[in-house]
Amino acid sequence: MRTDKVLLVFKKDWLEVRRNWQILAPILLVPLIFCVLLPSMILLIPDSSSSSSEVGALIRILPDAVRGEMAGFNDNQIIAYLMLTFIFMPFFLLIPAMASSVIASDSFAGEKERKTIEGLLATPLTDAELMVGKMLVAFIPSMLVTLISFVIYSAIVDVLGLPLFGRFVLPTLNWVLVIFLLAPAVAIAGIAITVIVSSRVKGFREAQQLSVLIIVPIMGLVVGQAFGILLLVPEVIIILFVIFVIIDAIILRIGLGMFEREEILSRIR
Amino acid sequence: MSGIEAEGLVKRFGPLTAVDGLSFTVGSGEIFGLLGPNGSGKTTTVRLLSCLIAPSGGTARVAGFDVQSEPLKVREAVGVLTENPGIYDRLSAFENMEFFAEAYGLKDKAERGARIRELFEFFDLWDRRDDKAGTFSKGMRQKLAIAKAIVHRPGVLFLDEPSSGLDPKAAKDIRDLMEDMSRREKRTIILCTHNLEEAERLCSRVMIIRKGQPLATGTVEDLRRKMHGAPALEVTVEATNDALLGKAGKLNGVKSVNLSGEGALIFDLDDPEAGTPDVVAGLVKAGARVKAVNIMRPTLEDTYLELMKEGQA
Ligand SMILES: Nc1ncnc2c1ncn2[C@@H]1O[C@H](COP(=O)(O)OP(=O)(O)OP(=O)(O)O)[C@@H](O)[C@H]1O
Ligand SMILES: [Mg+2]
Repeated sequence: MRTDKVLLVFKKDWLEVRRNWQILAPILLVPLIFCVLLPSMILLIPDSSSSSSEVGALIRILPDAVRGEMAGFNDNQIIAYLMLTFIFMPFFLLIPAMASSVIASDSFAGEKERKTIEGLLATPLTDAELMVGKMLVAFIPSMLVTLISFVIYSAIVDVLGLPLFGRFVLPTLNWVLVIFLLAPAVAIAGIAITVIVSSRVKGFREAQQLSVLIIVPIMGLVVGQAFGILLLVPEVIIILFVIFVIIDAIILRIGLGMFEREEILSRIR
Repeated sequence: MSGIEAEGLVKRFGPLTAVDGLSFTVGSGEIFGLLGPNGSGKTTTVRLLSCLIAPSGGTARVAGFDVQSEPLKVREAVGVLTENPGIYDRLSAFENMEFFAEAYGLKDKAERGARIRELFEFFDLWDRRDDKAGTFSKGMRQKLAIAKAIVHRPGVLFLDEPSSGLDPKAAKDIRDLMEDMSRREKRTIILCTHNLEEAERLCSRVMIIRKGQPLATGTVEDLRRKMHGAPALEVTVEATNDALLGKAGKLNGVKSVNLSGEGALIFDLDDPEAGTPDVVAGLVKAGARVKAVNIMRPTLEDTYLELMKEGQA
């Protein structure tokens, strides 16, 4: 595999993505909503309506470490803190999942739909160079968007939350682990699923609709967090990471097998 | 060396055999025409030879490389104009060319730029180089696709219906370009076309296929002789009469003579090219005033249609 050829494919696809509002709009708008709207909702709208007995019940099921982080907080502070540092965390896994599958759908299925794939496959670029270049063009921008969203979110939480908490509350170790371990693993899963889906469908719309299903298990995390069933503490994050790596390895393998010149072309027309 | 040798090529798509045992060789510098009705397997043959799909049977060497064991080498050595232009609409014409030039191994940026400029000036696209290819007309896209196929100066070039969508001037430019590439630069060209006049004008040899099988291979002249025999000689004179017809029948080398509907004399000669001067001289001597002389060659179209009729039977 020649690095310059991988970069060539990456550059070409990136030029295409950059000029396509159908792709840019969702991968910029969704993170914007998450990193601006979520913290503003909690920190600018005063007072929550939860009773202190509910709060007490929630606190009792929390691990000691988490209770330690909140030592000395009153009910309002606890609710806000849990929201901002735990409940919202999985939303930031939706960003890489969504962005990577949207871009990959365009790069894989879109190229087929626009009938440019044959000319591309006629070039002396190897399957591996094409595959890696195209995966990178989905991976790097999704990770950048995730990272930038996290930075903006942290900044907003810290600035708006300073009066309430009296200190900066983000980033925490949990967040760093989620953004740097789980998010890339999720992005790769999104890409691999899209590669598989793209080899079976005609258009990139279909590919997008199907591969966005990857957000379903992540929504599971959102719910799990909200009910305190599965809190994203370091141990849990590491376990999830290992699970994702295994899943990634399996679906990547399947995807790579499907990305074959012969396969792709015999399905054209 | 830089030609093509195909031996019993077969391609099956499920139950359908799209290419059914094609064997042919194309010499270096030849323009080889691949003719046949819709769905006869021309595009599939090109895809096989340019290593886009693998054959179900048979072997082929293209530009000296085996299509099965050295596909990357083959792809490096050939240029392909596919049925779909395969242009990236969101990239400018220049960006499209840059990408393909680099993909085909033109590493040096200055060299790439010069080559692209040369091609764009030839195709009248230079002024539009920074426009998005998506805004191009059908013919402009076709020109861009051809430019992209030859950007790396391939030794073997596959052109699948190159003149489709081109205006008469552009179509002629492309024909001239093909002739130049084959004669002067000794590049091998495989031309798939439905434009038989174009094939007749350009191709050193043609292969007519049907349902993936070869019907006939050879020079256009060979096919013509095979299907229609020697061409007839048509001589138009000012006035015909039975006496003239009688004398004409006895001229040297004349097998038979008839009167056409329009009143011209139609000669069947042993060898029309060599016999014509004697026939004309004999007619003048017999007192005829000759207005026009024409060796009636059936066109490739006549031959093609005849072959198709035979194939049907
Ligand atoms: N990917 C494919 N899957 C299944 N069948 C195919 C595929 N590609 C081509 N065929 C079939 O193979 C046959 C030959 O097709 P091909 O495109 O080679 O014809 P062609 O000679 O180029 O026709 P045209 O003059 O219309 O371009 C057709 O019957 C076509 O339906
Ligand atoms: Mg065709």
